[in-house]
Amino acid sequence: MEIVVFTKRVPVTQEEELRILEDGKAVDLRKLPHRMNDWDNYGVEEAVRMVEKGGGGVTSVAIGDAEADEVLRRAIAMGARDGFLLETEEVLHDPFARATLACNFLKKEKIPFDALFTGVQAEDDQFACFGGMLAAMLKIPYAAQVIGVDSVEKDHLVVRRELEGGLQERVKVSLPCVLSVQSGINEPRYVSIMGVRKASKVERKVFKASNYADNVKSLIEVTKWAYPPKKEGAAMIAGDVNEVCGKLLGILKEKGVYQ
Amino acid sequence: MSAGYVLVVAEVRRGLFEERNLDTIGLGRELGLPVSLLLPENVNGVDELLLDRVLKVSADEGTFLNPLVMVSILVKVFESQGQPDFVLFTHSSSGAECAAYAAGHFSAPLVTDVSGFDQSTGTFFKSYYSDKVFAQFKSTSSPTFLTVRSGSFRENVTRNQAAPAVESVGDIAPAEGRTFLEYVEEAGGAVDITKAEFLLSVGRGIGSKDEIPRYEELARAMRAVLSCSRPVVDKLWLPKERQVGTSGKTVKPKVYLAMAISGAFQHIAGMKDADCIIAINKDPEAPIFQYAHFGIVADVNKLRDKLIETVKGS
Ligand SMILES: Cc1cc2nc3c(=O)[nH]c(=O)nc-3n(C[C@H](O)[C@H](O)[C@H](O)COP(=O)(O)OP(=O)(O)OC[C@H]3O[C@@H](n4cnc5c(N)ncnc54)[C@H](O)[C@@H]3O)c2cc1C
Ligand SMILES: Nc1ncnc2c1ncn2[C@@H]1O[C@H](COP(=O)(O)O)[C@@H](O)[C@H]1O
Repeated sequence: MEIVVFTKRVPVTQEEELRILEDGKAVDLRKLPHRMNDWDNYGVEEAVRMVEKGGGGVTSVAIGDAEADEVLRRAIAMGARDGFLLETEEVLHDPFARATLACNFLKKEKIPFDALFTGVQAEDDQFACFGGMLAAMLKIPYAAQVIGVDSVEKDHLVVRRELEGGLQERVKVSLPCVLSVQSGINEPRYVSIMGVRKASKVERKVFKASNYADNVKSLIEVTKWAYPPKKEGAAMIAGDVNEVCGKLLGILKEKGVYQ
Repeated sequence: MSAGYVLVVAEVRRGLFEERNLDTIGLGRELGLPVSLLLPENVNGVDELLLDRVLKVSADEGTFLNPLVMVSILVKVFESQGQPDFVLFTHSSSGAECAAYAAGHFSAPLVTDVSGFDQSTGTFFKSYYSDKVFAQFKSTSSPTFLTVRSGSFRENVTRNQAAPAVESVGDIAPAEGRTFLEYVEEAGGAVDITKAEFLLSVGRGIGSKDEIPRYEELARAMRAVLSCSRPVVDKLWLPKERQVGTSGKTVKPKVYLAMAISGAFQHIAGMKDADCIIAINKDPEAPIFQYAHFGIVADVNKLRDKLIETVKGS
């Protein structure tokens, strides 16, 4: 199988204060560390495992600025054969624009594939729709939140999709298709710094997004960035570790769950 | 030309109308247009008085909630009812799947995970970075596709006096490219976290699997049951039966003590109804503090050690 995996470089925001600039015009991401979108690790791993078992190759594709090359190196270190950067300085907030660009690119460059993998969602924008849009544009089937690939046949796959509350559905999907891969489907392999350094020796290809810009337009626009609507919020417990510990145990006692 | 209505696509599982459909209907009400509900036949638990029109498709639910089939259904509905101004799905596994595929097919604008609507600017609030900031999105063409966050709009539903007109969309053929085979239930485990009165819940921020035994020790000492967020299960630090959230268990303990959990909505949806939520996180901006009754900004592993020492010493 030839599998193309979309891999996005995202800022790591969990422990960072995010500042909104110029009265809502932008979010300041400049000083943040970046990494491969967590869900895309699972996508790359699943693709590499399928190819290790059944033959073929994995191509990692990133849409972004030159720095996005970082995720291609990581994907190669995990076992991808190729890394393609679809380079654009412009941040395309609308996944429709990104999917159109990817669709044009795959067609124009005649990239061969039996399956396209994406992550379930990007950690930054959480749209969870890039793969579905791309599948529709390419007029091929789509299955989202894939938590297991049960069988790989010549012309189709049988996959399990995760629904809510512990329920899954098993579906048959014809090839070629697009799958969005859910976290937990596998255990992504460990990648060492040495591994990434070695992967840097494998050539990655850069394609200018402007060559595939036909019909690439945004159908939705950000008018403003805003902090979350403040709810009542928590009563904060302050003090040194002894004090905090004492106060916390006091609350647990009061609530009747700890003697 | 749009026909001036909102089309709400129902989510149905095992013959039951899912509660989160109330949020799509609620946003439909806020948009101020008549609301039509699209659903398969033989569904229990639909309160038809919440709707202005009901459109029934002759298909079973496994066929109905299939993105390829959904496109054919929508084509038929747009033909018979005219083009809606908005098409609403729940922001769930199948809702998001169908919305993405349909928006791609119709080249239509899509905003996902919508949790707020601003009447004055006509913009939709969408979470970024696990709720650390929100973007306000404007749609530039019609119909606009939206997926709606569970719990966001249900208070807006209103009941009509009279039952709505019910129309049939007719038969829909299954899609060749993708077919539903069966439902699969995840295997249950030995521990039922939904029964616990006191949950000690750990998140990715504890750092590594090596920390787990110390949290088990603390849970034992405090007579709490250990639960966790999804990444902890994905990384195989704890078994799936311990996971709280939309794709895990929904819990309602007396006390939910969340340690190093950021507060993504998929997690919050599973524990927000706990009587008392206490969150410990080193990031004072962590979204979980918005839902917690008590908050502590601290390093969880250090506080954990102190707690073990104190509880065991007393
Ligand atoms: C379809 C779908 C379904 C999902 N279902 C679920 C679900 O059922 N349950 C669920 O939980 N998630 C679910 N998720 C994942 C969810 O979106 C989040 O990714 C997840 O909840 C994050 O888990 P976390 O808070 O443990 O990790 P993170 O978001 O990485 O947060 C870690 C937190 O720990 C803090 N921290 C780090 N180090 C320390 C320290 N030393 N001391 C104190 N604090 C520290 C950080 O500040 C941060 O706030 C789902 C996602 C999708 C797309
Ligand atoms: N800029 C990008 N570059 C590469 N892949 C992307 C990009 N944007 C989205 N994707 C893929 O689409 C998935 C879902 O993204 P989203 O729909 O934005 O949540 C991600 O997990 C990636 O696999």
